Amino acid sequence: MIQTYILNKNHLSFWLRQLKSAHELIAPWRDASGDIVLTELSRMHETALDGPALMPSPKEFLLPQMEQLFCYSEEGIEEAVNKQSRVLFGIRPCDISAIKILDTFYLGKNKDTYYETRRNKTILVSIACNQPDPTCFCLGLGTGPFLKSGFDLQFTDLGDRFFVEAESENGMSLVRDFPHIFIEPKTVDSEDLYEARLASQSRFEKRVNLEQVRKSIQAGKVSDAFWESVAVRCFECGGCVYNCPVCTCFNVIDRPASVDTGKRIRLWDTCMFKGFTRTAGGVIPAEAKIHRTKRWFHHKLLHWPEQFGVFGCVGCGRCAVSCPGSIDMATVALKIKGSDQTEEKEA
Amino acid sequence: MPTPNIYLPFKTSIRDVKEVAKDVKLFSIVVPGDFTYQAGQFVMVSVLGAGEAPISITSTPGVSRDLELCVRTVGHVSSALNSLTTGDGIWVRGPYGRPFPVNGRQDTLFICGGIGIVPLRPLINQMMNTRAKTNKKATVTIMYGSRNPSEVLFLDEVAAWQDQGANVVLTVDTCQIESWKGCTGLVTEHFGKAKVNFKNSTAYICGPHVMIQAAMRDLSLMGMSDDHIITTLEAHMKCGVGKCGHCFCGGKLICEEGPVFSLEEIKKYNIKPGRDSLV
Repeated sequence: MIQTYILNKNHLSFWLRQLKSAHELIAPWRDASGDIVLTELSRMHETALDGPALMPSPKEFLLPQMEQLFCYSEEGIEEAVNKQSRVLFGIRPCDISAIKILDTFYLGKNKDTYYETRRNKTILVSIACNQPDPTCFCLGLGTGPFLKSGFDLQFTDLGDRFFVEAESENGMSLVRDFPHIFIEPKTVDSEDLYEARLASQSRFEKRVNLEQVRKSIQAGKVSDAFWESVAVRCFECGGCVYNCPVCTCFNVIDRPASVDTGKRIRLWDTCMFKGFTRTAGGVIPAEAKIHRTKRWFHHKLLHWPEQFGVFGCVGCGRCAVSCPGSIDMATVALKIKGSDQTEEKEA
Repeated sequence: MPTPNIYLPFKTSIRDVKEVAKDVKLFSIVVPGDFTYQAGQFVMVSVLGAGEAPISITSTPGVSRDLELCVRTVGHVSSALNSLTTGDGIWVRGPYGRPFPVNGRQDTLFICGGIGIVPLRPLINQMMNTRAKTNKKATVTIMYGSRNPSEVLFLDEVAAWQDQGANVVLTVDTCQIESWKGCTGLVTEHFGKAKVNFKNSTAYICGPHVMIQAAMRDLSLMGMSDDHIITTLEAHMKCGVGKCGHCFCGGKLICEEGPVFSLEEIKKYNIKPGRDSLV
């Protein structure tokens, strides 16, 4: 059951300050370079909700780029679990959709304790996208620009006020104590919400049908020559993987501090690097670039749907922003679709 | 109830270490009584400070009191592991992976290359034990290739298998020793000595990628059905529990859905570990 409210924009800073007293408050903020990043907010009025999608994605707050698994000493090992409660405010609907995918991966079979502890302590407050970026393609995937469920709270900007939807008990707990500012919506608010959503949907520049692409690949219509043409453009920078809110791979290493003490940490890793699959004997299964690029796309487009019933992509477009070789998901998908259609016409 | 942390190993100690060949050591590791495993599975072994690596279990389930691991020095963790001695502490978690499927009725062919005998050893021992207990005398052929006579592992056990009725074919790549009674050349060159009905037997293969590839191809050509050609694959692994993504291949995580695969599965999922494709 979704509860709906109206929050006047003038009251946002007050409410955020109240949240900050009980939780660690992470929100979008424009840094000195003009980029919008997620960070612990110190001055409430500085939260930037109007800009383009966040770079990097909020995944670092659930799966930190570097995280301690345990520390060890002569006495034994001690696990390091972060138990701080946290509100992720102002993330995007695609980010919520990505977190749902991370949940199925990390909280399904063989639960990941570190992710689970962080996730249970994290409340997700998203803001619907009224102005999708040119790189966005969530519309075709149903992962944005606004969500029907999956959030704790969802905000929609209606000019001078926010339309607020609360879906979960966690979400309700953030608004329950403030009935004087979270007021009941009127008919006109619902009408404005409807208009904002329609307008947002009309603003998408990219229309990508990943299901069609999946079928083309499955039908064997995408040749290795095509993947080679993708691979030659790859700089092996790993930007697509690090910025992807769905990519989950990590490396584990020990950091000794002395002979007997130290810590074991895990850190983000990327399958775009040649050494990713190197075995101790020196054999590198995915040595050629084509194997690595093809595997990334296959994993997201074929294997995620097989295993979890959803694509390993939410259409956030971050790979398009970060890729220096223009071989991001949308571009490659559109190329596959294009070549498939040309073939059909010729036939 | 909190979920047990899948990344935390338990501490135990090394009861015994034997150097079985140059740079290859056999560890006997103390494990609790409820630590059970099956032939073909592996454990994640840590030397704190050096890291963690997946290692095949080589002790026979239900027979060996200790967990036995046979490790060759190749990388960072295996080097650290092989510098440990009796009484040293060691951290283990597992067992992980899908064990070997066993079809007791058919003739069995084992094809081992070098240190590839390690994961097959418990299965051979199990099979020889069952064979001794029952009257059904399905034939067991063990083909074992090594680089040279000094690198042949578990020679005494190989002799015992022969005494128990297994047909053993030993071969080395090069040999300057005149007393060597085995063959020379690649394992795959000696299939003629196997004395098995290829169409009605199961093969278990482990060794270098090139050997696995050649053996699978030849057996398939000789009429063995693809689902009876079984191998176990090596991959870089960081977690062993399907999370880190390093062993992902053809849509399958080798740690979880392998490391044991049949040729049928390898073809179906297009699993291609090793520099060359397996099929």
